[in-house]
Amino acid sequence: MTDTPSTGGRRGKLVAAAASAVLAVVGVGAVAVGIRGSDGPPAPTASSTSLGSTATSDARPAPAVSSSPVGTAPRFGRFLSASRPTMLDIASIGVHSGDFVDLDVTSDGTISVPGTAHEVGFYVGGPTPGQLGPAVIAAHVDSTQGPGVFYRLGQVKPGAAVRVSRADGSVLQFVVDKVALYPKDRFPTDEVYRGTFDRAEIRLVTCGGTFDKVRHYLDNVVVFGHLVSAT
Amino acid sequence: MRKRHAIMGSTLGAVTLMALGAGPALAAGSSVNANLMPNPGSGVTGSGTAMVSVSGTTITVTMAATGLLPDQPHAAHIHFGADARHECPVIADDTNKDGHLNTSEGAPAYGPVVVSLTKTGDTSPASTLAVDRFDTAPGGTLTYERGSIKVSPAVATAISAGQSVVVIHGVDYDKNGTYSGSVKSDLDPSLPTEATDPALCGALLAAPAGGMATGDGGAAGGINAGLIALGGGALVAAAGTGAIASRRSRISVR
Repeated sequence: MTDTPSTGGRRGKLVAAAASAVLAVVGVGAVAVGIRGSDGPPAPTASSTSLGSTATSDARPAPAVSSSPVGTAPRFGRFLSASRPTMLDIASIGVHSGDFVDLDVTSDGTISVPGTAHEVGFYVGGPTPGQLGPAVIAAHVDSTQGPGVFYRLGQVKPGAAVRVSRADGSVLQFVVDKVALYPKDRFPTDEVYRGTFDRAEIRLVTCGGTFDKVRHYLDNVVVFGHLVSAT
Repeated sequence: MRKRHAIMGSTLGAVTLMALGAGPALAAGSSVNANLMPNPGSGVTGSGTAMVSVSGTTITVTMAATGLLPDQPHAAHIHFGADARHECPVIADDTNKDGHLNTSEGAPAYGPVVVSLTKTGDTSPASTLAVDRFDTAPGGTLTYERGSIKVSPAVATAISAGQSVVVIHGVDYDKNGTYSGSVKSDLDPSLPTEATDPALCGALLAAPAGGMATGDGGAAGGINAGLIALGGGALVAAAGTGAIASRRSRISVR
């Protein structure tokens, strides 16, 4: 099986034409996944499905660094130069992936998504992790075949650690401030892609909520965090 | 990309008229951001990010950059021209073929200055070279935040539409730690060209619209569309009808 999305129909026909022994194996596998996934991917605990309801920690300290403030220099939190992410670790939900692909705005104005459910997408139109502003990383909650990299993203808790390694050799530690579930048709674009733009932040995005009749999840799970250290 | 931009540029007049007619609603609450990258031929290895939020004809600009020549004034502007390409210049814009891009050579890409990102006082194009009011990048790091910057309706519309470009000027080709050299600035012959040539540049673009399609249902609650497509008879044969019944009951949710 591959993780390639949107092949369910064709795959179904192919499978239907296959030998009955294969059918039995597929059937057992499907049932196993079906049972395991019968409640769907984990949702953020303190939020049901209402817009912007969140689990949050009051983890917004006074801006820390600001390099040599002079005159009217703003009090930004710590930030770094640009460097691409090479590895994402979220120990609390078992995510460890270096399979990064670029995400960008498509011709219809929406964001592209990774081609497979095992890849992690980095939005190249925004800051890299560590730069001033929010770096946006997205991955699939599942494919047509089963769980994806971010299947358990909704289980992330405020205070959890998110570690990002970068191409320049630096290792960045972010802490989760908030986990929220938003209807896709009321996606908080400014909060996700801009925020307050006064410190280095991170956003982790995947799908969640009800999977509807036309094969779409209706919501997005968004994890918000900010940079606490870099080595 | 360029073609699309050219078309947008040519219809800017119409867009502007719409903006005037519709009032601030069109631009209200929108924001754009830029990744600031080294200008080709600048010798700069720095980087930065910028965010501009637009409310009516007032903008707020937040910006940070690293790797600039330390402790020298870095003029910074928002550029826009209806006929420009609304992007950062490429080395092919080096019309005098000296290997560097001066501010004028970049104009076909980003257009003229529409906002001077001064720390105090006037922010109009009249302050393009107000060197005593720009950030000096202590330690090579520039930080900038300023609100309540008034712009024209046309400029507000262009920024919201993703047609403007942030440029931070000031380079050090000869790596002697200061603005120097015999080549004079194309903007002000009393300054060396190092003082005004573009260092970092980034187009201010809108964020993607809407949510993300980051799931295909293979592990969704109840439905498992892919598995249903897969399954059919296989599920019936292998698992019996109980599982199917429970799955169907969940499909009807919503």
